[in-house]
Amino acid sequence: MPIYNSPIFAIDAAEARRYAGLQKADFSQQLIDDACMEAQLLIQPKGIWQLYDYDSAHQLLHTTENDVSLQGTAPHCHNKADTTGNCLALQGNSIGKHLAGCCKVIVMAATVGEAIEQQVTKSFEEGRYSFSVLLDAAATAAVEQVADAMEKTIRNEVKRLGLAMKWRFSPGYGDWPIQQQTEILQLAGGSHIDISLTESLMLMPRKSITAVIGLYYPDTVRNCTPHEQNTLNKAPEKPKHDCRHCSKIDCPARNKE
Amino acid sequence: MIHIFDGAMGTMFQQLGLLQPGACPEMLCLTNPAAVTKVHQRYADAGANIVETFTFGASALKLEHYGLQDRVTELNHAAVKAAKSVKTADGKPIKVAGGMGPSGRFVKPLGDLDFEEAYRNYFQQSQALEEAGADYILIETFIDIQEMRAALLAAKDATSLPVICQLSYSEDGRTVTGTDPQTAAITLDAMGADIIGINCSLGPEQLVPIVKAISENTAKPISVQPNAGMPQLIDGKTVFPMSPADFGTWAPKLVQAGATYVGGCCGTTPEHIAAIKSALQGVEPPRFAPLRRRLMLTSRSKTVTVDKELPTVLIGERINPTGRKKLAAEIKDGSFASVKREALDQVKAGAKLLDVNMGVGGIDQAAAMKRAVTEIAQLTDAPLAIDTSDAAALEAGLRAYPGRALINSVSAEVERLEKFIPLAKKYGAAILCLPLTDEGIPKTAPERLAVMDKIISTAKAAGLKDGDFLLDGLVMTVAADADACNHTLETLRLYREKYGYPATMGLSNISFGLPNRPLINSTFFTMCLAAGLDAPIMNPYDESMQNALMASMALLGKDPNGRDFSRNEKNLAVPKKAAVAKHVELTPLDALKAAVIEGEADEIGTLVENAINAGLEPNEITEKALTAAMNEIGVDFGAGRVFLPQVLLSAEAMRSAFIKLKEKFPAASDSTKGTVVLATVKGDVHDLGKNIVGALLENSGFNLIDLGKDVPAENIVAAAREHKAAIVGLCALMTTTMTEIDEVIRQLKEQNINAKVMVGGAALTQEYADEAGADYYASDGVVALNIANEIIGAN
Repeated sequence: MPIYNSPIFAIDAAEARRYAGLQKADFSQQLIDDACMEAQLLIQPKGIWQLYDYDSAHQLLHTTENDVSLQGTAPHCHNKADTTGNCLALQGNSIGKHLAGCCKVIVMAATVGEAIEQQVTKSFEEGRYSFSVLLDAAATAAVEQVADAMEKTIRNEVKRLGLAMKWRFSPGYGDWPIQQQTEILQLAGGSHIDISLTESLMLMPRKSITAVIGLYYPDTVRNCTPHEQNTLNKAPEKPKHDCRHCSKIDCPARNKE
Repeated sequence: MIHIFDGAMGTMFQQLGLLQPGACPEMLCLTNPAAVTKVHQRYADAGANIVETFTFGASALKLEHYGLQDRVTELNHAAVKAAKSVKTADGKPIKVAGGMGPSGRFVKPLGDLDFEEAYRNYFQQSQALEEAGADYILIETFIDIQEMRAALLAAKDATSLPVICQLSYSEDGRTVTGTDPQTAAITLDAMGADIIGINCSLGPEQLVPIVKAISENTAKPISVQPNAGMPQLIDGKTVFPMSPADFGTWAPKLVQAGATYVGGCCGTTPEHIAAIKSALQGVEPPRFAPLRRRLMLTSRSKTVTVDKELPTVLIGERINPTGRKKLAAEIKDGSFASVKREALDQVKAGAKLLDVNMGVGGIDQAAAMKRAVTEIAQLTDAPLAIDTSDAAALEAGLRAYPGRALINSVSAEVERLEKFIPLAKKYGAAILCLPLTDEGIPKTAPERLAVMDKIISTAKAAGLKDGDFLLDGLVMTVAADADACNHTLETLRLYREKYGYPATMGLSNISFGLPNRPLINSTFFTMCLAAGLDAPIMNPYDESMQNALMASMALLGKDPNGRDFSRNEKNLAVPKKAAVAKHVELTPLDALKAAVIEGEADEIGTLVENAINAGLEPNEITEKALTAAMNEIGVDFGAGRVFLPQVLLSAEAMRSAFIKLKEKFPAASDSTKGTVVLATVKGDVHDLGKNIVGALLENSGFNLIDLGKDVPAENIVAAAREHKAAIVGLCALMTTTMTEIDEVIRQLKEQNINAKVMVGGAALTQEYADEAGADYYASDGVVALNIANEIIGAN
């Protein structure tokens, strides 16, 4: 149950600009920088993750926790359906495709806390509309940075096991039903860092994320179909959220590449 | 002499089939000590003269996973015993390194492990290892400098053995939590690590530059134990691919880079060790020129060097409640918001080190210092100076800080010498030396030098070395002593001449009681910089001081040929950007309109007043300037020429204008375009988008009833009826909550409320809005405003 609360020495102003929908705008850098700095003072970065075995043929996540830091022991690939019932079936084609060929998954949760959310609301009430929106965008950039920092930590650990990582995939991406947020948050251990879910499946604090990262063996993917091997070989070197997989095509923050 | 370590243990036991899945591997030391001895012996036969005990996970925090936390001592004793009987290839007793691995958790505030719990964990284990006869304590595979600090402190306190500190680095050349090899070497050297090194994570090739970086920053011996390359999976097993022969060829390169202890980590076998042994036959460690020890301070991830040959290092003085009532009150209340803000602002203003003082009466100084140091270290990588006269607060701060801090300050007062210097030694801190005695302040430079001699010799007797000192020039008030400035300048010159250590001081005392203090201060500053001041403690926001510093750097050759000076816009005769033409030439209405479009809320009040003074009626101002401006912005937004935050800046300007108009004509602004009831529906807690719509409507003359977020349908319906709403605006962000919109519309219809319904939110679409029976779908705030205007116009 590793908890890792990454320090954030600077919030990425370019990302904050993007989340504020200002990619193409001639907009004061000073205002964005000020919002990023204010955000840095308000965020309370927290992160947690767990490692689970995964059966990609059946999209089954084995819900008994592994010890990822165990050294010198080769992990075993359970590529057959678990019959004991200790597993979660991940629903939808998107997640199935994303995790094709993976034999383990990291389930993670990250947040920047409630204080910044309160300041966003307060600033708006005070009539500082644009600052409020920029602060909100900076908070989004910050929570992504917290997750990125966790990924870096995780990558170091999994590399030692000879594994490689895919990028973060979250409930709601593609056709992965948001309803599985409940299980994913629980498997991540989100309650240990004070993340909860509303009845309508929203993460609280609002600037929080959950995600699943697939782990696979880069050189020998013995149990994969040729198609799966092909997908894995094309996996990006540096895993990153990929806007192409999102259906919100009019998103102002969509990466235009 | 070059020492040869052993290779991997776990891999060997696995090959021998001795490890049970799910069982504690280290238990083998108790259940089958002969097998453990046998593997150790194989490494000794291959040429190792140091073997590491099989105790990587034999600390309480790790054994807890197996419910074995009560068997730490027993297990470590058995492990040392299993290694002790081994003989080297030439028949001598083997040296035994008692190994300690990481807990698998991060130390607070990065994780949930308390520093003291980590300390106790390693205290217990290292004590057990020494009791059983280990020759070294080997702390290895750590990925976080703070856990390493806890383990090193514990091993030093619990044993008298030499301690080897090995961190693991990732491919970016830093540990997982961000420490680079230089920073690690400086921090651990100062704390008394006897051997500094690296193991695991990378192969030998990747470790050569890291060994080199360490050797450039410490004179301590260096150990290195690489993996046999980067792991791969072959036939279902994790395999480290590098052959013994290849591994061996890297050993001389590691030695050339500065390592004198060489061994192997994951994937290495007795054959790998034999290859190292043979490759190092006859290889002599290189002789490096002795390091000149310079003053280097570190944070978790950065080293800052203060030296006479380097540019001036600014120490920010602002985290200090002395004479600042608001800051003092905040700290007393347990709020560190301003402390954090000062940290960030000072770094932004150019501070390279931050002084931290928590001198507030009536609080627990130690707790406050610990908290301040912890919070600041999470926010910035500038190293810290711990500024206190309280030994307990000093120790709390030093213990919590994941780097090498500066102690501000050590004087020749007996209590400071006795209490502060041992803390500096223990925690590897540098000291700021203040030439002050129990009798008072020496006046002349030679007297100050004599006091400084005493501080430095006492510190050196306690084990501090060159590179641990920053000398204070001591500034008195020139209004009280005509020679105060001369004494200080002379002191700085003598320091440099005699010790060559860098010098510091606070400056503003010099001008006390004089008029135009900034001029005196900045002039004095330039004199001191010329005389040998390297690290002023000052207010980094002070422009005259910053200017003096910038000019002095150019004059003293620390900014060669004034290159930076020439680049700074402040110094250019013609500013790069011509001043933006203001709205002076426009009519009052056009000027106001332009200011709203530009979003210049600060100017709005004046511009509204100008318009009123020009005899314009409030209606006219609203119509022809404000509304006209918003219309124009709306068009530009629709065309993709301006973006939402810009629209909001304009809305802020509108807001200021309306506030001003209302102030001038309290009766005039009651008329509205119509009432809008706005809400984020039940179950949904996102309200920023809804707030934006509200702000735009309200500042365009609508009467806004904002019901907030998570609002039940009944409340929305009731409000629409009560306020005779012309428009009901509904917002839902998620697919899980947007169905509530259908419910609200159903109830509105059921109760015959004929307000127009406008819906929006991230998950919504025109199609969904149509199906739900909404009158309008607004994809963003500006569209919502346009729709609202359209609805009112149609009415």
